[in-house]
Amino acid sequence: MGLKKIRFVVERDLRMFMQYKFMLVMRGIWFVSQVALFGLIVNKMVEVAAREANINYFQYYVAGVTIITLYSISMFIGYDIFEEAEHGVFEYLLTLPVSRRELVLGRSIGGGLRSFIYIGPLLIVVLSLLGVSNPFHFLVALASLFLFAFGVAGMSITIAVAMKSGDKYDILIGVLDALIVRLSTTMYPSVYMQQAAPTYATIARFNPLTYASDLLRWGTGIEGTLQVSPFVGVLALFIFFFSFTFVGVVFYERRLEGGSWQ
Amino acid sequence: MKSILHVIEYDFRNFFRYRWFIIALIAMNLADLFISAIVFTQMTRGIVDYFRFFAPGLAVLGLFASAFMIGREINMEVRREIHHYLLSLPMARTELAIGRVLAGGLRGMLYMTPLLLTNFVILGFPTVPQLLIILLTLFLLAIGISGISISIAVSTTSFEKFVTARGVVYYLFFFCSSVFYPMVIIQTLETKGLAPLVKFAQINPLTNGSDLIRSFLLGAPEFSSFMLLDVAVFSAVFAFCATFAYTKILMRQ
Repeated sequence: MGLKKIRFVVERDLRMFMQYKFMLVMRGIWFVSQVALFGLIVNKMVEVAAREANINYFQYYVAGVTIITLYSISMFIGYDIFEEAEHGVFEYLLTLPVSRRELVLGRSIGGGLRSFIYIGPLLIVVLSLLGVSNPFHFLVALASLFLFAFGVAGMSITIAVAMKSGDKYDILIGVLDALIVRLSTTMYPSVYMQQAAPTYATIARFNPLTYASDLLRWGTGIEGTLQVSPFVGVLALFIFFFSFTFVGVVFYERRLEGGSWQ
Repeated sequence: MKSILHVIEYDFRNFFRYRWFIIALIAMNLADLFISAIVFTQMTRGIVDYFRFFAPGLAVLGLFASAFMIGREINMEVRREIHHYLLSLPMARTELAIGRVLAGGLRGMLYMTPLLLTNFVILGFPTVPQLLIILLTLFLLAIGISGISISIAVSTTSFEKFVTARGVVYYLFFFCSSVFYPMVIIQTLETKGLAPLVKFAQINPLTNGSDLIRSFLLGAPEFSSFMLLDVAVFSAVFAFCATFAYTKILMRQ
């Protein structure tokens, strides 16, 4: 397997990503409005509860919104795969002097990497709001966010290649997005999910967004948010990353053979 | 009138072609109500019963998103020059433009109806006059939203620009309104030097639309004729803008 060839595939995905400049600007506007409007106002609304739970809700929410943005950008790669199938670009990709495995692995890496490049400037804004109390914790959190981004890209590829219709992909991603974000601790602490409906809290415990957002909070020193030890959190994200990268690669590789995407 | 009805029928048929998008939108709305709002209810105890507070806001949110969809279609038609076909139809351009604005609004009303019924089931049913005022206000709101969406759609030359402009409008109207949080909480932003945003939230038609439903179903805030007037002015301004802009664009070539 040639690293150089994988690098070419990754580079292509990064270039493609830059074509979505308006979409990226829109996600940026969404992020800013979530932080500067929704976050600030809801912070006022829940300040009594936040005091009881010993958290600063604004900081809590900013970290959560960062993870939601990272998640949604990482999911983009699936749309690219559908676009390519629809416009006959798959055939072109198969004629390239790159093995199937290199192509698939490159796409998975590209999918995760580009979301990280996008989140970079936002992360600087977030860090200026939250600060970093322990650089080592932050580096661990950053590494776990890499695992999370690659895992989500793998999940997106897996879903995209498992679906034959762009419509079905769209709805599944829409529904998944609606549930996976809301049933996680990105927006609210699990103690309130437990009070609202224990089922929600139970589902949140198996949600990678929960681990990613809790680890980012822990990494930036936001107190009282980590439900499990950081080691367990990193391990959970590693399992998520490994499962979906592996499954995504195998699925995509199989689908490339025999024109089954058509 | 018959021509306008044909245009409305055409847009309704198109609306159902987006069934997957609509299903995803419904899922998102229901998740907002039955997951997020329930959890936030726990976090806002003693301040507001968030679940009951948010339910009317959700109906207005759904109305906004679905009425706005017409802009996406019109932007696509302008980019692909399908409007040449529309111009060949035996009807006046103004009829076509009015039909599109009305269709966008009616589609919003259709989508919003189950959400409004959910509100009635959860919060209680209004009296007949109250129901009529709610429906009238929401219809005017839907027409205004459809108008704003069409105005943006015909003024932007690419889909990306339309999507970006839509994003700005969405987030400004959503987050700077009392859809998600009570006006009294938004007013605290004044102390942070964000008085213009507070002012915008007060005149935002989404604020007045959702507060009007709340005034009848929850009893607070108190109903005022300003709510209806604000939505009516918004509707008139943007319905006119959309009709004017749409007709102008069609006549450009």
